Amino acid sequence: MARPQTAGPRGRRSPARLVIALSVAATLAVFLLYTSIAGGGTPMIQPSELDGRTERVSLAGHVVGSPRGDAHAAGLRFQLRDIRGGKTERVSVLYKGSVPDLFRTGRDIVVDGRLRNGTFVAVPGTLITKCPSKYAPEPSES
Amino acid sequence: MPELGRAALVVTLGLSLYAVVAGAYAARYRRRRLALSAQNALLGAFGATLVASALLLAALVRNDFSFVYAAAHTSRDLPTGYTISAFWGGQEGSLLLWLLILTGYAATAVLLNRRSARDIVVWVVPVLGGVAVFFAFLLVAVASPFATQAAPLDGRGLNPSLQNPYMMAHPPLLYLGFVGLTVPFAFAVGAMLARRSDERWIVATRRWTLVAWTSLGIGQLLGAHWAYEEVGWGGYYAWDPVENAALMPWLAATAFLHSVMIQEKRGMLKVWNVLLVLLAFSLSLFGTFLTRSGIVSSIHSFTQSSIGPWFLAFICIVVLGSLALLFARLPLLRAQTRLESLVSREATFLYNNLLLVALTLTILWGVAYPILHELVYGEQRLVGQGYYNFFVRVFGLPLLLLMGIGPLVAWRRASLRGLALTFAWPLGVAVATGLLLLPFGAGSSIPGLIAYSFAAFVLASIALEFARGTRARRALSGGSWPRAFSDLVARNRRRYGGYVVHAAVVLLAIGVAGSSAYDTVSERQLARGEALAVGDYRLTYERLEEREAANATEVRAHLRVERDGEELGTVAAGKNAYAAERQVTNEVGIRSDLATGEDLFVIAEQVNADGTVYFRVFVKPLVNLIWLAGLVFLLGAVVALWPDAREQRRLAVRYARAGVAQET
Repeated sequence: MARPQTAGPRGRRSPARLVIALSVAATLAVFLLYTSIAGGGTPMIQPSELDGRTERVSLAGHVVGSPRGDAHAAGLRFQLRDIRGGKTERVSVLYKGSVPDLFRTGRDIVVDGRLRNGTFVAVPGTLITKCPSKYAPEPSES
Repeated sequence: MPELGRAALVVTLGLSLYAVVAGAYAARYRRRRLALSAQNALLGAFGATLVASALLLAALVRNDFSFVYAAAHTSRDLPTGYTISAFWGGQEGSLLLWLLILTGYAATAVLLNRRSARDIVVWVVPVLGGVAVFFAFLLVAVASPFATQAAPLDGRGLNPSLQNPYMMAHPPLLYLGFVGLTVPFAFAVGAMLARRSDERWIVATRRWTLVAWTSLGIGQLLGAHWAYEEVGWGGYYAWDPVENAALMPWLAATAFLHSVMIQEKRGMLKVWNVLLVLLAFSLSLFGTFLTRSGIVSSIHSFTQSSIGPWFLAFICIVVLGSLALLFARLPLLRAQTRLESLVSREATFLYNNLLLVALTLTILWGVAYPILHELVYGEQRLVGQGYYNFFVRVFGLPLLLLMGIGPLVAWRRASLRGLALTFAWPLGVAVATGLLLLPFGAGSSIPGLIAYSFAAFVLASIALEFARGTRARRALSGGSWPRAFSDLVARNRRRYGGYVVHAAVVLLAIGVAGSSAYDTVSERQLARGEALAVGDYRLTYERLEEREAANATEVRAHLRVERDGEELGTVAAGKNAYAAERQVTNEVGIRSDLATGEDLFVIAEQVNADGTVYFRVFVKPLVNLIWLAGLVFLLGAVVALWPDAREQRRLAVRYARAGVAQET
C-alpha cells in the first residue's frame, strides 16, 4: 500500500504517516491472528485426489449414475467422478439437506464433507451445483 | 446482416486505434487539428458500436437463429422483453454492451469537457481509446457476437433463472458502473500525462464517478433482491467471487468519493486519489476477468472461455503502466497542505479510507487465495464465508461508527471539548438504543447489538446535522421550517445528498444485522393439513395446485399463515418446470410485513409424488430495510447529482484559475 503524500511544503513529518503505519500494522495483526486461528481454508479437490484423505474438504465432481434416496430422510446417495481429466475413480456421496434445483445426473457440483469408511459423508446443506454458466444454458444433449 | 455487424466492429477497432495513435501524437506535439480528429474518431467509434449493437438486438428480437448468439440465448416462446435481456445474457453480448457503454461514455465525456479542460482532454482521448481498443479487439478477434451458422429450428432459450425482471436491469446497471469507472481513471491518467497537478480531473469527473458508483450500488442491491426472491436459499449475499467482483470496485469507489473531497478542499492526498481510482478501475477489470475466466470456483462458474488470458494481460498493462506514470509524476503531486490534527474532518476521512481499502483488500485476498494457493501448492483452497463475515465486522462496524463521527468533526483541527459537546446527543441515543433493545433479545448477537447501537448513533448525528443546518438557515433568511430545510439542501446538494446516502447505508446495516444475526429457521416434511411453527408464526399446509403457464409447468403449495392466533392469509411456494430449457426452478413464497419490515420466507424444497412437501421456513426480521435502503440510496445520489448552478460557477472560477496558472 502506498502512502499518500502528506508531507508539508516545509517537509515536516505528518501525523498521517503514523496513522497509516499503525493501521497497516493493526490490519496485518488482525489478519494473521484470524488466519492462524481459523486456518487457511478448506482444500478444494476432485474425487481422484480424495484417495484416503479424511480431513474436511470441498469435493468438486461430476454426478454420474442415478441419484437415489431422499435428502430429507435417510439421505441422498450419488456418485461423483472428476470433472476434468480422464480419471475414472468414483466416490459415493451421502448427502442430507437442501438440494439445489440444478442438481441432476451430468451436472458439476461442489459439496463439503469428509471421507468415512469409503463413503464421502457430506456436511448437511453444503451441496452447490456449478451451473454450466449462469448466463449460457447448457449445451443441448443431442 | 452479420457481415455488417462484423464490419461495424472492425470500424470501431480502427477508429479507437486511430484515437490512440493520432491522439497521443497530437497531444505530445500539440497538433490541435489532429487532436480534434482523434476526438471525433472516438465519437465515430460510438456510432459504429451503436450500429453493431442495434444489429445484434434486431437479430435477437427477430429470432434470427442463423446468429449463433441468438440461437444460444433465445427461443421462439421466449417473451420479447427477455429476448432484449438476452443481449447481455452471454459473453459476446456482454462484451458488446461494455464497449457500447464505454464508447458512449467516452464520447459524452469528451464533448462535455473539450472546451473547459482542453489541455487534459487531449490526453484523455488516447487513454479512453486504448481501453476501447482492447474491448473492440476482443469482439473482433476472440469472441465475436456475429458468428453465424445454419439456422436451427429453435433456439436453446434463456436460462430460466434469468427470466426475471431483475435480470433485465441488474447486469446493465453493473456494466454502467464498471465501465463508468473508466472515465475518472482516464481523466486521472490524462491529467498526469498532461503534467497537470490541479484538481480539475476530479471536479470534471465527480458526476461520472457518482453515476458509476450509484449504478454499481443499485445494481448490486437488485442482484441481491434477485438472489433473495429467485435463487431461493433464504439469503441475498453469499460472498461468492462473482458477487465480490462487483462489491470490490464499489468499495474502492466509495473510498475515492470521500478522499477526493480532501483534495478539493485541502489539496492533500493527491497520490492516494490516483491510486484509488486506479484500484477501482483495475478491480472492475479484474471483476470481469473473474466472472469470465472461470479461474475461481464459483456458484456461477461461467463457461471456461478464451478471453481470460487477454484480460489478465490487459489488467497487468493498465496497473503497471499507471503505476510507472504515477511514479514518474510524483514530484508534481506534492500536497499543498498537511494534516494538522488527528482529530479533524480530514483525519476521519483518512480513517474511513483506510478501513474501506483494508476491507477491499481482504475481500480481494479471499477471492485470490484459491488461485494463489493453487499456484504455490498445486491445490485450491477456499476461504469460507466465515472469513468474510469476520472481516466485514472488524472493518465494517468501525466504518459505520465513523459515518456518524465524520460529519460532525470540524475541518483542520477539532477540540476534544467541543467534540464531547457535539456528540453528547448521538452518544446518548446510541446507548439508550442498545439498552432498550436488550430486553427484546438483541443480546443474543453481540455484533448485531453493536451494529444497532452504531446505527442509532449515525442516524442521530445525521438528524442533528439536518436540524442544526435548518435552524441556522432559518435564522439567516427567516421563513418557515420546511422552506429553510429545502433551502438548506438545495444550497448544499452534495453534502446533504451525502447524508441521505449515509442514512441508506445505516438502513442497510440494520437490515443486514436483523436478517442475518436474528433470523429463525424451521424445516419439516408436511402432509396436507399438517402444520409447522416458526417464531411466532404457524403455517398449515392446505393444498397443492398445478398450472400450465406459457413456457413452464407451475406447482404451488398453499399454506395458511397465523401469527399468535391471528389469521394472516395464505402464502404459496413451489417449483416451475421449464420445458424448453429442461430445468426446474424454486419459486419461494414471501410474506412481507411492511409495518415491521419482517419477512416470512417459505421454500418448498421437495414436492413428493404423494403430495407431501418438505418445507423450509425462515423468519427474517427487518430484511425489507435492505430494499428500502436502495430507494433511499437512490434518492441521496439524485440529490447529490442534481445540476447546481452555484457549483457550475465555482467550477468555472476554478477552471479559470487553473488556466491562468497553467499559462504563466
